Amino acid sequence: MFVEALILSCLIGAAVVFVAPSGYAGRVAFGVSLAPLLVSLYMYLGFDGSGNAFLGGDVAYEAFAEWLQFGPYAVNYHVGLDGISMPLIVLSTVLTTLAILSAWTPIDSRQSEFYGLVLFLEGSLIGVFSALDFVLWFVFWEAVLIPMYLLIGVWGGPRRKYAAIKFFVYTNVASLVMFIGYFGLIFGLGDAISSTSMPAIAEALRAGQLGYLGTSTIGIGPDALAMAAFLAMFAGFAVKVPIVPFHTWLPDAHVEAPTPVSVLLAGVLLKMGTYALLRFNFTILPQQAAMLAAPIAAIAVISIIYGALLALAQQDLKRVVAYSSVSSMGYVILGLVAYTVYGVGGATFQMVAHGLISGLLFMTVGVFYNATHTRMIGDMSGLASKMPVTATVFLTGAFAYMGLPLMAGFMAELFVFIGTFESTVLPAAPLFAAAAMFGIVIVAGYLLWAMQRSLFGPFRLETDYELGRAPLHDVAPLVVLVVLIIALGVAPDLFFEMIRDATLDVIDVGFGGGLR
Amino acid sequence: MVLETVPVEYYMVLSAAVFCAGLFGVLTRRNALLFLMSVELLLNAANINLVVFAFYWGEITGQVFALFVIAIAAAEVAIGIGIILVLQRNFGDVDVTDATTLRW
Amino acid sequence: MSVIYELTPAIVLLPLASFALALFFGAWLPRRGAVVGSLATAGTLGLSLATLAWLLLTGEPHNQTWYTLVDADATFDLTFGILIDQLSAAMLVIVSLIAFLVHVFSLGYMNDEGEPGLPRYYAGLGLFTASMLAFVIADNLLMAFIFFELVGLCSYLLIGHWFTEDAPPSAAKKAFLVTRFGDYFFLVGVVGVLVTFGTAGFAGSEGFPVLAEEAIAAGETFFGFGAETWFSVLGLLVLGGALGKSAQFPFHTWLPDAMEGPTPVSALIHAATMVAAGVYLVARMYGFYALLPTVLAIIAFVGGFTALFAATMAVVKDEIKQVLAYSTISQYGYMMLALGAGSYVAAFFHLTTHAVFKALLFLGAGSVIIAMHHDEDMWKMGGLKDEMPVTYVTFLFGSLALAGIFPFSGFWSKDEVLFETLIHALGGSPLLFGAYAMALAAVFLTGFYTIRMVLLTFHGEPRSDTAEDPHGVRWNVKFPLSVLGVLAVIAGGINLVPVEKLSGGSLHVAFLEGYLERDVGLLTHGEHYSELLHDHAGYTSAYVGSEVTTLLLGAGLSLGLALLGAGSAYGLYRGAVPTRHTEKLGGLRTLLMHNYYQDEYQVWLAEGFTVRLSSAADTFDQGVIDGAVNATSSVSLSAGSRLRRIQTGIVTNYAALILLSLLALLVVFAILGGWL
Repeated sequence: MFVEALILSCLIGAAVVFVAPSGYAGRVAFGVSLAPLLVSLYMYLGFDGSGNAFLGGDVAYEAFAEWLQFGPYAVNYHVGLDGISMPLIVLSTVLTTLAILSAWTPIDSRQSEFYGLVLFLEGSLIGVFSALDFVLWFVFWEAVLIPMYLLIGVWGGPRRKYAAIKFFVYTNVASLVMFIGYFGLIFGLGDAISSTSMPAIAEALRAGQLGYLGTSTIGIGPDALAMAAFLAMFAGFAVKVPIVPFHTWLPDAHVEAPTPVSVLLAGVLLKMGTYALLRFNFTILPQQAAMLAAPIAAIAVISIIYGALLALAQQDLKRVVAYSSVSSMGYVILGLVAYTVYGVGGATFQMVAHGLISGLLFMTVGVFYNATHTRMIGDMSGLASKMPVTATVFLTGAFAYMGLPLMAGFMAELFVFIGTFESTVLPAAPLFAAAAMFGIVIVAGYLLWAMQRSLFGPFRLETDYELGRAPLHDVAPLVVLVVLIIALGVAPDLFFEMIRDATLDVIDVGFGGGLR
Repeated sequence: MVLETVPVEYYMVLSAAVFCAGLFGVLTRRNALLFLMSVELLLNAANINLVVFAFYWGEITGQVFALFVIAIAAAEVAIGIGIILVLQRNFGDVDVTDATTLRW
Repeated sequence: MSVIYELTPAIVLLPLASFALALFFGAWLPRRGAVVGSLATAGTLGLSLATLAWLLLTGEPHNQTWYTLVDADATFDLTFGILIDQLSAAMLVIVSLIAFLVHVFSLGYMNDEGEPGLPRYYAGLGLFTASMLAFVIADNLLMAFIFFELVGLCSYLLIGHWFTEDAPPSAAKKAFLVTRFGDYFFLVGVVGVLVTFGTAGFAGSEGFPVLAEEAIAAGETFFGFGAETWFSVLGLLVLGGALGKSAQFPFHTWLPDAMEGPTPVSALIHAATMVAAGVYLVARMYGFYALLPTVLAIIAFVGGFTALFAATMAVVKDEIKQVLAYSTISQYGYMMLALGAGSYVAAFFHLTTHAVFKALLFLGAGSVIIAMHHDEDMWKMGGLKDEMPVTYVTFLFGSLALAGIFPFSGFWSKDEVLFETLIHALGGSPLLFGAYAMALAAVFLTGFYTIRMVLLTFHGEPRSDTAEDPHGVRWNVKFPLSVLGVLAVIAGGINLVPVEKLSGGSLHVAFLEGYLERDVGLLTHGEHYSELLHDHAGYTSAYVGSEVTTLLLGAGLSLGLALLGAGSAYGLYRGAVPTRHTEKLGGLRTLLMHNYYQDEYQVWLAEGFTVRLSSAADTFDQGVIDGAVNATSSVSLSAGSRLRRIQTGIVTNYAALILLSLLALLVVFAILGGWL
């Protein structure tokens, strides 16, 4: 009932906002978005799941209804939450509400459509994180693209059409590749499954029931099929994450998207990719993941270092944050491939932490942009003297991004580093960990440099705008995010406990309980 | 009946001849009216086959289909003439090779 | 658990509360947060003294987990805990004393001067103190790292206090980045320690130093390395963080730049918090380092080299705070040398006395800077001794302590460092002779630059208008100076080892040594370290003649060199109008003024190399990777625009195409079906 309440409150809210007059749409949308927010917080407090939803754990807030029959496969409405999806749902609802607040200032045309799409996006995201049936999941997965495409394409910057189409086509082609890979597995399982239920498929794969795709004479054998499916799904999700070299849609999309959309894009949409990687590749095909551990970890390290280097080269504050997202998502991949308690748990924790922190940075850049109408670092300096609160928040966010202890980002990175260091799956694990950790130096470098040039020094602004303190509804979401980031840094167990509980089984898969 | 005495192959030849005449018209004519008439020939070639084989097998279905085809042909003529009128109005001619503005 | 230990968290929480109050309500607080900050640090000082007294009286230490950060269930947890042993109890007193005095001094330096951003300043001081105190009481390496990093953050905020100017934000960035570079190694080391031992606890039989001892004894292997090799790697990694924060070569470049911050902050950074953190960290896990002779040798060498290296640069500087900055680097070099040479007690002794006299010198310099209307150039000063006698006398005491002149505190501690190094070098570790020689040379230079600084600042004729009519200072400046001035003279009395030895052991005046070596059951006492050093690092003592002879020889040598340095400075810079002798050094002076081009190459590494690499990466990214993506789309587009030419729009062509296709299909079917 609860998951449906979440999704429906978003969709009905979207419909209501769509017909609301533009002048009130922002306030109505904010009010409406409180419903899923409060429901999700209530769900978080009453969360009673244990174990991994795909691997026979107790699923919280489970709901099931028969839906369709496709040949031999039943397609059902099946949703439920475990310790991995619960934090991500809370992240989605929190960030959406805050993004709506942060949209009040910058969005000044077609407000009802804008907020309606944002709420529709929220509903789809919740669906992605809660669906347990593949077809249902895929419907939500694709549904996310539509509002995002429109949000970038209609309300974006000067090159919005290019960015929107690039985003849509890139991720959609990737979805296709992934879809083929997954259906290869479904067909390869043959009679072993009778529905597209993801837990059932995971169980069948774990039981080694993968057969030939086609026949044993002309067909693909189970090992080759599993490997091909792994690669197809990995490539598909890699675009969404994004992992180098599939990352170039991200900076374009971020730069063109309006601030609130960037917040959601970096904060939640990217997490769809890593969530799916965890749910699909690393949960259901652990042997293949272990086989490919070294190359995947190498890609992750390259993402971290290369993304950070690219961020260093940017002049546009938003591009800086966008590229650093590429870097941060590398930590998630590295944690996943480590197959340790801290590795996989830390990767999931990093999804939440990065969602909050990058959301904070994008919002802050947006607040500066609202005031200065420029995002180029070279165009401004000494903003801190004119906008002290916003500058303080930016400083906080930047330090959180650098992994300052007692903030969420540090905890996430620490977990990933520990997890990677002690990994038995990964060859030369300490070296990978050490190489990845060097990212924290480069991150500090570009963020401190960017701050030194834009926030500090004597005041100077190339664009002629009168700077004043930002309005309350711009600053309030920033403060909320800062509080959340520090809370998660001081008490990571708020989320880590349930995450750990849900990821333990993932580590167990195929490695005979080799936890360390 | 006379029909019974005529072998079915003759009808086939007739039908093929009509079809080829229609096809030739479609491939060579530029005038839209002639084009439409050629299409009618193609349809009628099919009709001959339908009726003949219905009669040959003692099965009424073919004749029913022929009726359908005639009805559709009538509807097509109505629309076709309409299109030709619009062609005439827009291009001042009924030459089908003129109406290529929708291609790219 | 005794009451005093239940109150230990308050030591950290008091300054933290002052941080929060100043941050959120600073504008409404009396003196913009100064009063609250001073009260909080005074409370902290009281509690620290009580803790120290309790430990002295009862010998009951405290080692307990207070907060579980992560309860990992299937593997090791991450926790915060409090460890109060001799080292941390004494360090608490030092830190909270200096922090308290700095708060009081700030009233004079910041409030009275009408500086902007005072709530921010006091919030920073509060957080700085709290982080450092939490670092000091940390019971495990992870917690130490966490607060070590927060110390770095606070230094960033405080060095960059005057952020509307150009230089302070740049210096703040540099300080954070250079120390972060060291902390990178530290973090790898922390993670390595956690993974290797499953714990990062410092003390007790469950602590990682003891586990390491057992692992070496058992001949275990880790990640394919022998135990000692692997531990050396871990030790060096953690050392990276310590060298970064303690500004040891090659990470020393941030510290002179950090003088851009307010002077009381410099006092706090140099005397008791950030820079001391590195040395404290090595002392904290000395049980681990004592097992690793290679690492010890590296520490000793880096320490000795830094002591000399920094001292040479201090000789030519013209600004009072620059001289002090390089002297700090040099003095921490002595502490590192002491730790590397196996004299844990001497290192902590020098840390203590240095904290006192360096805080004194910085606050004294701050007083001078107030008087000079924030002009720091020593060549514009002169003759200040008559105008500001309290500052002069206390500053002189501090300087004599720094120069290591008998009987000021610095003499005792520096002498002990040198003596211990010498006897261990004699006792079969000849490598230490090199470090010893460098440290001795540094003694001469220290004497020289210290006296040069005093003479230029306070003696001779006033060389500018402001020096003739300096700005007066109030009680809030004089009070901290007086407290520290007295301490700078007498602090050596806490550990009069030479006196005890000269008396043949009948006078028990080596209080600090006795205190640190007492076994309170945590395996973090000096006695235990000595055994480890002896067993693992092979440190034994040998003497030239008898112990007393060596002692007298060593002390005479270092005192003689210090006096020689001081004397030559006096010879060169006395008189009403001293000449700029260092300019005669020519090319050498240029080299020294440019700090051996250390900054240049590090800036090149950051800007010349990394930034260029990043723009190359950007070009690659936009050109090749994004180029490939865009190429895919443009290839699709152009292929499409070619292919669509098939669509002529002429119905007849379509019909012909259909017919031909049909025929072709028929032919294919015919061939496949075997009709042809």
